[in-house]
Amino acid sequence: MTGLILRRLVQLPIILAVVYTLTLTLAWAIPGNPLENPEGRQPPAEVMEAMKRQYNLDSYWKFYFSYLYNALGIRWMHEELTGRAEAAARQAAAAGQAPPPRYIFDLGPSLQYEDWRVNEIVAGALPVSVTLGGAAILLALVIGLAAGVIGAVRPNSLADLATLTIALVGISLPSFVIGTLLLLIFPVALGWGRIAAWGSPTDAILPALTLSLPFAAYIARLTRMGMIEHLGADYIRTARAKGVSEARVLLKHALKNAFLPVLSFLGPAAALAMTGSFVVEKVFTVPGMGQHFVNGVLNKDLFLIMGVVLIFATMLILFNLAVDVLYRWVDPRIE
Amino acid sequence: MARLLIPFVLLVLALAVAVLSDRPQPRADFVFINRGDVATLDLQRMSWMQDFRVARILFEGLVQHDVFSHDYAIKPGVAERWEVSEGGRVYTFHLRANARWSNGEPVRAHDFVYAWRRALLPDCASDYYKLFELIDGAKEFYAWRQAALDAFKPGDDAQALWEQTQRKFDQLVGVKALDERTLRVELVRPVPYFLDLCAFAVFYPVYPPLVSQYEKPDPRTGRLDIQSGWTKPGVLVSNGPFELKLWRFKRDLRMEKSEHYWNKDAINIDSISIPSVEDPNAQVLAFTSGAVDWVSDVTPPYRGDMYQDKLAFYREHREQYEALKAQGLDPVEIDRRLPPDPRKNIHAFPAFGTYFYNFNCAPRLVDGRENPFADPRVRRALAMAIDKKRIVEQVRRIGEPVATTLIPPGSLPGYESPKGLEYNPQKARELLAEAGYPGGQGLMTIEILFNRDGGHDVIAQAIARDWQEKLGVKVSLQQQEVKVFRNEVKKHNFIVSRAGWFGDYGDPTTFLGINRTGDGNNDRLYSSERYDSLLEQAEHETDPAARLALLAEAERVLVEEDLPLIPIFHYSQIYLFDPHRVSGISSHPRQSQNMFLVDILGDGKGAERPLALPPRPLGPDGRPISERSMSGMVRTGAAEAAGSGGEAGEPAARATTAEPASEPEVAP
Repeated sequence: MTGLILRRLVQLPIILAVVYTLTLTLAWAIPGNPLENPEGRQPPAEVMEAMKRQYNLDSYWKFYFSYLYNALGIRWMHEELTGRAEAAARQAAAAGQAPPPRYIFDLGPSLQYEDWRVNEIVAGALPVSVTLGGAAILLALVIGLAAGVIGAVRPNSLADLATLTIALVGISLPSFVIGTLLLLIFPVALGWGRIAAWGSPTDAILPALTLSLPFAAYIARLTRMGMIEHLGADYIRTARAKGVSEARVLLKHALKNAFLPVLSFLGPAAALAMTGSFVVEKVFTVPGMGQHFVNGVLNKDLFLIMGVVLIFATMLILFNLAVDVLYRWVDPRIE
Repeated sequence: MARLLIPFVLLVLALAVAVLSDRPQPRADFVFINRGDVATLDLQRMSWMQDFRVARILFEGLVQHDVFSHDYAIKPGVAERWEVSEGGRVYTFHLRANARWSNGEPVRAHDFVYAWRRALLPDCASDYYKLFELIDGAKEFYAWRQAALDAFKPGDDAQALWEQTQRKFDQLVGVKALDERTLRVELVRPVPYFLDLCAFAVFYPVYPPLVSQYEKPDPRTGRLDIQSGWTKPGVLVSNGPFELKLWRFKRDLRMEKSEHYWNKDAINIDSISIPSVEDPNAQVLAFTSGAVDWVSDVTPPYRGDMYQDKLAFYREHREQYEALKAQGLDPVEIDRRLPPDPRKNIHAFPAFGTYFYNFNCAPRLVDGRENPFADPRVRRALAMAIDKKRIVEQVRRIGEPVATTLIPPGSLPGYESPKGLEYNPQKARELLAEAGYPGGQGLMTIEILFNRDGGHDVIAQAIARDWQEKLGVKVSLQQQEVKVFRNEVKKHNFIVSRAGWFGDYGDPTTFLGINRTGDGNNDRLYSSERYDSLLEQAEHETDPAARLALLAEAERVLVEEDLPLIPIFHYSQIYLFDPHRVSGISSHPRQSQNMFLVDILGDGKGAERPLALPPRPLGPDGRPISERSMSGMVRTGAAEAAGSGGEAGEPAARATTAEPASEPEVAP
């Protein structure tokens, strides 16, 4: 187990380096100038050139290494060691002001949203997305497992058919349709809940439900298949012959084994759900991470793209590691 | 099985903690959805309408506009009075003694000098630095700094250069703090709209002790490394009616009434909040559910239907509506006097902007082909073949006025707009034949370049159909992502492209300047000695009326003879608000909206006196004078509501012949 964790942690920086290089290369190739407003006035050419130099946007390799210099905390250390940080703090104190904030892992400024650093953007959006994604995964588990078990107990019955249909709808209907329908039914028609608001716990219910449905549908199908397979196994017949109650047979014996494929699905699913969904965020006006993937690319906001992609990659790797650890813990047979 | 549950129980607990730690804020007195997210609160770096709107709530300039006067009169702000001397070239502002920053410190003349110097640094890359070039010596200073930065080599002393720059500014530039409360500004020439500029947020002051912490010379390049952390709540020091309390990225921005503002007793609400809602449909839903009091840019595809519903409401109350309109009342005031009805909540006010089509006017296209559109006759022919009335009535459907000029007529007091070209396919065909393309023969395929979204495609299709059917020319449509589109236009790689322009300040030059030879926004590469020289003459004309006449002549050349662009329609700004509940939103075509004037009617707080533009005086025919400047909506609305009887002439004909607003109509 420790070996596995260590191995994965050694792999982490290598994978991140590959992701970093690939993403930057692709993002660099996006047409357009990230410093330019899509509409309105443009700064003169010489100013634009100087700004490009300031942000190291004039050369791929300069950007490549200067980004790493900031993001890995080397600049922070450099400023600490040379005393520049201390000098700035003294100067601010002399003027009666707090010194400008500094970040150890500085992900740079957003080129589109001039007043924000990527660190601030992520610090605001990631907790929201993790909350929403976590709630969605929980909901998906409850809905998916229940539907899967019902379907497996009476395959091809009416209940099975109904859950299968709902699962199919959940997978195939795009979330902007489901989301808008839910909005129209609950807050608009019935007056339950708020629209375009985020802050109270109830605001998370509808977006979490919308976000959970595709995951729930997939979990339902995985559970049903696993359950049907295991319910026909010898050890279940043995358990039933021993006189174990049906509920215990289903939940303790069959479900435990049928759950393993669900568990392996949960790793990437959780990372996906917790780094936000552009569509769900847009429909319900959730201030999460998903929008930054899309807007970052549309605006060619290089710092933002790199920041959110690296965080997504890190989460994906860590969640997969967590699932692997859980896997071994649940089923010690697995090496 | 129990083992399996542990991680999920932990997840539930974590979620509960996350949810409980993120308590919602109480609803603000006034909640509105801005035109888009605020990009920056750094005054000198702003360039978006939504940023300026927030800037005017948080900060205050030397002067401000009276948005509820027809001539957008200048009112005192931080400056309680000012003198103009040397024929309008020198302004001396006297700052009021009780103007305060939000930390209680007095606003000093030096704070303006500091802010204006920032705007003039190439390091700051202010989109509006050109406006400051009207100040004596500013151009020289900018050029000097740019040259110094270009000559800077790594290893040079960046700090020394920065200190030298500050001395140079004091030497060269005609902005001086004579004492703590007196600011003297010397201009290169008399500029009749200078006070209007002083009401523009780029000219507002910043608090130097704070901002200077975020501007350090970069030893690598010599440039000031300008960071923006000072615009955050808890850090920002501002001098306006409200203070920044909360700003969460893409989530919300909240402001509360400032205790230090000199005129705080005139403020009628305690808090303003701006949630970030991007989806146009969600914006409308948020308004209908009461979560939001004002949607400042209504864009869902069904807004045309919403607007048509309002016209239906007017038809139902036709007599009363006509009577109120005949008194020359502000459209908001008319709505307030009609019975309450949710259909009334949508408002279409004329905006200070125009939607138009660019022609590439260069002798050769980027691909090397000879450009037939370098010939003004061809451009005129194409302009006269567009049925703009059909576009506004069947495509846009929100009552926007047809445009034949670049500057919305009636938006600038004293300015007589030219007539522009009328819709005349017959004449267009003759012109095209005269230019050597009878029946469109021999003319290359016209490619219309436009960006995806925003409904530009439907407009392009309508125009393409007109050109094909009326002139027999071949047209192809080219749709691009906005970034690519922008790039192509900037490289002048187009034949015809879609465009739009909103004015920044109350002078014709805010529109006309973009067609000067060599202007950074002259995407058309239009170059006319006559046009340039008219603008040049206007610069040196000291008599205001003669100056406006010169500018009007320049616009006439633009929209009647040379047509480097075809004006299609003047924008309307579509709002959602309940006129019985919200006061303080102006229907003036300049549309810069001072949200600190808002009063929620019936909440028992504030003056509870509904604001509206004063009624227009009646003309000899018993109708209000110069309707155009009141509202495009009312015009089209009336024509619809009254069939053909209520007003003379059909709307499109009137749009081409509409009398422009003459002289300041109602000076309050």
